Amino acid sequence: MRLTLRALISHGRVARRMGLGPESRINMLRNILTGLVRHERIETTWARADEVQFYAEKLIDYAKRGDTDEKAMQMANFWLTEKDLLPKLFKVLAPRFENQSKAYTYMARLPNRENLDRAAMAVLEYKGNPFPPLFPAKRENELTLINQLLKGYREERAQLSGSKP
Amino acid sequence: MACRTACQMLQRRLASSAATSARLSSAELRSRRSSLFSEEQARQRALYPRIEKIEVQMQGPGLQGTLLVMNKGLSTPHSCARHLSEWHLESAVLALVDGEAWPLHKPLTRSCALTLLTFKDTNPLLANQAYWRSCAALLGQVLQNAFKDDFTVELLKTPEVPVTSGAFCCDVVLDPQLDSWTPAEEALHSLTRDAQQLIHRDLPWEPLEVAPPVALDIFAHSRCKQTEVEELAAHSTSGTVNIYRCGDHVTLSGGPLVARTGLCMQYEVTALHSLGQGAWGLHRRVQGLSLPQQLQAHHTVWRKLRKRAMKLVEVTPSSANLTAELPSESSHLQDPALPIHQ
Repeated sequence: MRLTLRALISHGRVARRMGLGPESRINMLRNILTGLVRHERIETTWARADEVQFYAEKLIDYAKRGDTDEKAMQMANFWLTEKDLLPKLFKVLAPRFENQSKAYTYMARLPNRENLDRAAMAVLEYKGNPFPPLFPAKRENELTLINQLLKGYREERAQLSGSKP
Repeated sequence: MACRTACQMLQRRLASSAATSARLSSAELRSRRSSLFSEEQARQRALYPRIEKIEVQMQGPGLQGTLLVMNKGLSTPHSCARHLSEWHLESAVLALVDGEAWPLHKPLTRSCALTLLTFKDTNPLLANQAYWRSCAALLGQVLQNAFKDDFTVELLKTPEVPVTSGAFCCDVVLDPQLDSWTPAEEALHSLTRDAQQLIHRDLPWEPLEVAPPVALDIFAHSRCKQTEVEELAAHSTSGTVNIYRCGDHVTLSGGPLVARTGLCMQYEVTALHSLGQGAWGLHRRVQGLSLPQQLQAHHTVWRKLRKRAMKLVEVTPSSANLTAELPSESSHLQDPALPIHQ
């Protein structure tokens, strides 16, 4: 005999519930996505950034179709609430990602918000933005002892291979 | 009568010269040098009978504004590091006192600005050179004590080699009976094991700045060392000579050595080459390779570097003046013609 109600248990349900309902969720994501297209790097709660990442990448896929495409223009028109960003989307962001097929965004976690809710925060950005990188490339120090020895080793190898043929 | 006294005087003089050149066993020689070193060290320490305070300004990442009040003539950069933290103690290799390279166990004599150098700084050139010099000094110590008393070992001036040459060298002149001896693999292995025992004992290199007559007295039984003392005294700005003691072995050095033998981790004596007849006999060059504890290499990398360290290292006259030319060395390293590898 089934004692539990399937509707009240959310095991395995992947869809998130945000705001007042599904329409409110879409409106919220629309606002966040508009902010992302305008500023190219934004900071929100982790759950919202995770949701927006999917829509942000889908929007770029639509924008790649070009602004003459009817469906693409309708989508962009719906998702961007500030209409001055439509040219930016089609003329700046779409050409930037024409050689990539999938990953157009980075998401990195931040320290939790200082408020009472201690919400998990994240920063979401489009790649190729003008800000300093989120994950700076750490170059190894060329002058440490082991790197100096390896440098001498490589130079000698290059010298020997250069003089051989 | 006068002839007999003259004969007696001559005999006595010959006897005294024979006594000075009489071969002391290596243990006696070591203990003599060590005791003279300790006497000189005690004498220098007694120059500061009352404790006077000096202010040491610490510089370095995370240490700005730290002011330490230390004792004049007694506190060393090592004791300053002990006031900071264990990490500073473990990683400090050399100290920079007012921009001058200062061995870690040398007492501070005036208020100054102190920086502790490590192997992982943005500019570890001084630390690297000091480490190379110390490894060569360690090799010299091992060679001095490796042979039986029947064979003399004369350590020549350690050539200053840049780190990129792949190996540090120690020039040595062995007994003429060993002129035809070439060491087998096992001999080099046993030298390596001696060196690693010294490393395991973690002995500090105690520095001492002495006047040339004292140094000449310490190295009284070695004509070669005495010429080196005179050379160093002539080249140094203050006319003094720097000697270092590790365990009971006293050695000369042209520049500062690192703090202690325990800093070396991987150490191997790689090769012995004959350089031909020189001023003191058949000159031999013993080469080795070493890496510190903080920069260990994977065994594949170590094997490749070791194979390179077996080749003879040529000492060019320009590399002999390395300590004076460090700025030009750094500009050579950033030569745009050389490819920079990640």
